[in-house]
Amino acid sequence: MLILDDVRRRFGTLTAVDGLSFAVRKGEVFGLLGPNGAGKSTTVAMAVGVIAPDGGRVAIEGLGNPREAAVRAHIGVAPQSLAIYDMLSGVENLRFFGNIYGVHGARLEERVAWALEFVGLTARGADLADGYSGGMKRRLNLAAALVHDPDLLVLDEPTAGVDPQSRNALFDNIEALNRDGRTVIYTTHYMEEAERLCDRIAIMDGGRLLALGTLDELLAMHGGRPTLVVQTARGEARLETADPLAELNRLAATTTVTSFHVERPTLEDVFLHLTGRRLRD
Amino acid sequence: MRQLLALATKDLQILLRRRSAWFFTLIWPVVVAVLFGFAFSGPPAGTANAITVAIVDDDATDGSRAFLTRLQNSGHFDMQPMARSEAETAVRQGTRAAFLVIRRGFGARSRQMFYGEPREIEVGQDPSRKAEAAMIEGLLMQAAAEDMQRLFSDRQASQAMVDDALASARTSPGAPPQLMRFLGELKQFVGSPEAASASGGGPAWQPLRVTSATVARERVGPANAFEITFPQGVLWGLIGCMMSFGVGLVSERTRGTFVRLQMAPLSRAQILGGKALACFVSMLAVQALLYGIGYAMFGVRPSSWALLALASLSVTVAFCGLMMLVATLGDTEQAASSSAWAIMMPLSMVGGGMIPQFIMPAWMNAVGVVSPMRWGIRAIEGALWRQFSLVEMALPCLILAVVGVVCFALGSRRLATA
Repeated sequence: MLILDDVRRRFGTLTAVDGLSFAVRKGEVFGLLGPNGAGKSTTVAMAVGVIAPDGGRVAIEGLGNPREAAVRAHIGVAPQSLAIYDMLSGVENLRFFGNIYGVHGARLEERVAWALEFVGLTARGADLADGYSGGMKRRLNLAAALVHDPDLLVLDEPTAGVDPQSRNALFDNIEALNRDGRTVIYTTHYMEEAERLCDRIAIMDGGRLLALGTLDELLAMHGGRPTLVVQTARGEARLETADPLAELNRLAATTTVTSFHVERPTLEDVFLHLTGRRLRD
Repeated sequence: MRQLLALATKDLQILLRRRSAWFFTLIWPVVVAVLFGFAFSGPPAGTANAITVAIVDDDATDGSRAFLTRLQNSGHFDMQPMARSEAETAVRQGTRAAFLVIRRGFGARSRQMFYGEPREIEVGQDPSRKAEAAMIEGLLMQAAAEDMQRLFSDRQASQAMVDDALASARTSPGAPPQLMRFLGELKQFVGSPEAASASGGGPAWQPLRVTSATVARERVGPANAFEITFPQGVLWGLIGCMMSFGVGLVSERTRGTFVRLQMAPLSRAQILGGKALACFVSMLAVQALLYGIGYAMFGVRPSSWALLALASLSVTVAFCGLMMLVATLGDTEQAASSSAWAIMMPLSMVGGGMIPQFIMPAWMNAVGVVSPMRWGIRAIEGALWRQFSLVEMALPCLILAVVGVVCFALGSRRLATA
């Protein structure tokens, strides 16, 4: 669906993206995970055609370079900064964004109603966005990205500054879009979001791609083995093992195990393994 | 085209909902045009030449009251009765130009003709106001002459006056015999058919008849002060629109909506064109509103509607271009707004936006050629009252168009590289 091939971008002396290559498959939720300053937003900006790469190639499969306006018509973007107009109502915002993407007339009204319903803002559609809560503005931001029914949806840190309730609503929205077969690129620095939502995850740092794969693949390759934590009469024991069940059985045969649990590696461990520091450092 | 219209409509909707923007785009221009217009118009019609005087009527007879009524009706005086001390204070403090004291015996002496003391009015005034003193004296003498003319124009009144004068003279020990003889002959004359024919028509007793011929002066200046102040108001309205849309564009950049628009299938030219179209429409609407107010309420009449349309288009192009430049003057709304005002205020001052060009010192007029305000006012005045030909309009309109195009190009370029 989206191909980035050896893409590079510098801003003055800063290398924001350095030789980045990956391909987003049709119908998947593709996560771009990395700390702030990893180059995620620059990657998104190149993917949606706002800035041109200094080198390499960006293309939407079957359509061409997103620097071309006609190609951008197939992409929906919900930027990290809320890109809605406070002095317009929810409906007016969506009509405006629909119009500039070439949706008009009855189709526009239908899409506006659908988008409002999808993000749960139908009841507040006539109100000025200025009066919306942060979470509602985020949802309207998502609706504005969806109103023209794009093939590719790019969500750049969509949960920034959102309360837990609105965050869960956004997760439900994204999962619903994925079930409908929509291709989604999701950037975040929250590993929990990437773990919950993404089919494949690209881990970035310093403008470079560190790893790419499904959650299980990343954990298997870079997360280390699971840790079996057991409580016995002699106290707590932590055992790294590839097969926690077999290890538990072995222990139970020789000593009395009063309780146990397994600690699986996380993306945090993956990032730590790849960079030597934590994701939130 | 639909996308362009959508962009423009969005900006106009936002403008209409931002009431703070209304002040500079609508209210302030009207205030400038109307208040300055009144200030330069002087006092209201009918009171322009009336001399303010305090009246002290010491005589208080029918004769003095009748005289004062005629003075009041002449329209030359704005009169207010007062006690003498009050009248002196009023003149001293400058609230009245002079005071008139109608001395005792004024009414009785009105009927004494050709003998005795004359009627007397005391005029109290600052001696430095000689011209006004002479005017008051002349107006009083004119009123007295009109009294005499009125007396001799009325046959019965003139006969009664001569009879009174004869009776009074006979009882007055000092009356000279020549006066008795003159009054006797006058009595015979006013009773004669010749006097009757003269008094019936009156003109024979009229010392001077002044006639007037109406010749309308060719219109070479503004019909009223509002034709000078409304162009200023229009330009303030345009500045208001320019600031509103320019700062609005900065706001789109800081809030991220400008980048969001770039993510849509729009070219940069479309995005900026949409902004310019909204600015253009709002500027035309502001001008139409101001000219409408000027036409309906303040007698602003363009000498050529076609040239006014040309002038309006030219200034609109210029200020749309300036709007684009304003959007690049700062990275924040506050910085852009402050910078823009810092530039526009002196340009307005030397360009005639604050004070009319005709009362500017020469050096300021000379410096003003660098200001688009100057050329804007020039073009609008050319269409309103300077009676410019199309050729004369070409220079200011061309300069405005060039300013607009150059500023738009510069602003667009700076936005592209920002």
